[in-house]
Amino acid sequence: MSDVHVDELLIDHVRGELEGAELRRVDAHLAACAQCRATRERFAHLMAALARTAPPAPPIHWGAYRAQLRERLERRGARGSVIWAWLVRPVPALVAAALVAVLMLAGLPGGLRAPGAPDPLALDHPGLASHLDMIARLDVVQQLDLLEDWNVIGELDELPEHRGS
Amino acid sequence: MESSDEQLCRAVAGREPGAFELLVERYQERAYRIAWSVLRDREEARDCSQEAFLRLHESAGSFAGQAKFSTWFYRILVNCCLDQQRRRRRWRRLVGWRERHDAEHEEPDPVEQAPAPFTDPGESVDTERRLSRMWALVDELSPQQRAAVTLSCREGLATKDIAVVLNLSEATVRVHLHRALSTLRRRLGDET
Repeated sequence: MSDVHVDELLIDHVRGELEGAELRRVDAHLAACAQCRATRERFAHLMAALARTAPPAPPIHWGAYRAQLRERLERRGARGSVIWAWLVRPVPALVAAALVAVLMLAGLPGGLRAPGAPDPLALDHPGLASHLDMIARLDVVQQLDLLEDWNVIGELDELPEHRGS
Repeated sequence: MESSDEQLCRAVAGREPGAFELLVERYQERAYRIAWSVLRDREEARDCSQEAFLRLHESAGSFAGQAKFSTWFYRILVNCCLDQQRRRRRWRRLVGWRERHDAEHEEPDPVEQAPAPFTDPGESVDTERRLSRMWALVDELSPQQRAAVTLSCREGLATKDIAVVLNLSEATVRVHLHRALSTLRRRLGDET
């Protein structure tokens, strides 16, 4: 007898799926190993019980099932054929490709800009662009704001009076 | 003479009228039953089995005929079911859904929760109760173990066919089955 148990082949042995050398090896082992024989019997019992006690699936109406399947098939076929028909037409496909290319170019940094031309963002907001370096020293800028507030408070008497107050 | 499944599948690929409907009629009950065994939900089982037929319709041309048609189709079907289970698990994680909460607050479907029919008068009441719990315990196995047990013990597929359906090696299927049955045996006790 081989010392190695054959646990994982026992289910195939119960179902009669082993053949040749593998079957002979398991048979020889079972003849000599009471433990594997007992395990095999328990598996056989359990598998038979599982087959016997399998609960039935809840009933459904097969006519309605097939009608729904037919509907899904038609819907899918129709959707597929519309997309396919549109895709194979050359004019819309070319127009779509050109549009996508233009949008992608426009979305890229520096896209659709002549070489050497100024950044359109800098042209639109020259003031903002010139103060971007202040963001790097935000803590100092915030303190400057505070100092400015103190300064205003200190000179309240000198502020011009509001009309109507 | 009646066409074989394989001939019908080739006819579906050639878009011959009536071939698809004939295959559906042959396989609808098995497809729905397997889907229900894996998913344990009537609506999901109906949707997944129909989805498997739709995929069959789309990919009939890729059936090479090396495996049996049934094995090839079960593979499509079980993939649909396992995909559905993954989606369901993701969704439940996303919304914080808890099965325990659901079980406490919802009335279970009496048809789906009904104990397995058991009429052998030779068995004791105690054994009968254990046996009726058997498939409820199968539900607690991992999705692949449950699929393997369903295909093996309920549908009678051979290990090599289950391996094709689940896209696993035969050795892995043997391990799944062995672990599943050992777990069931342990939970049910040794008297079954």
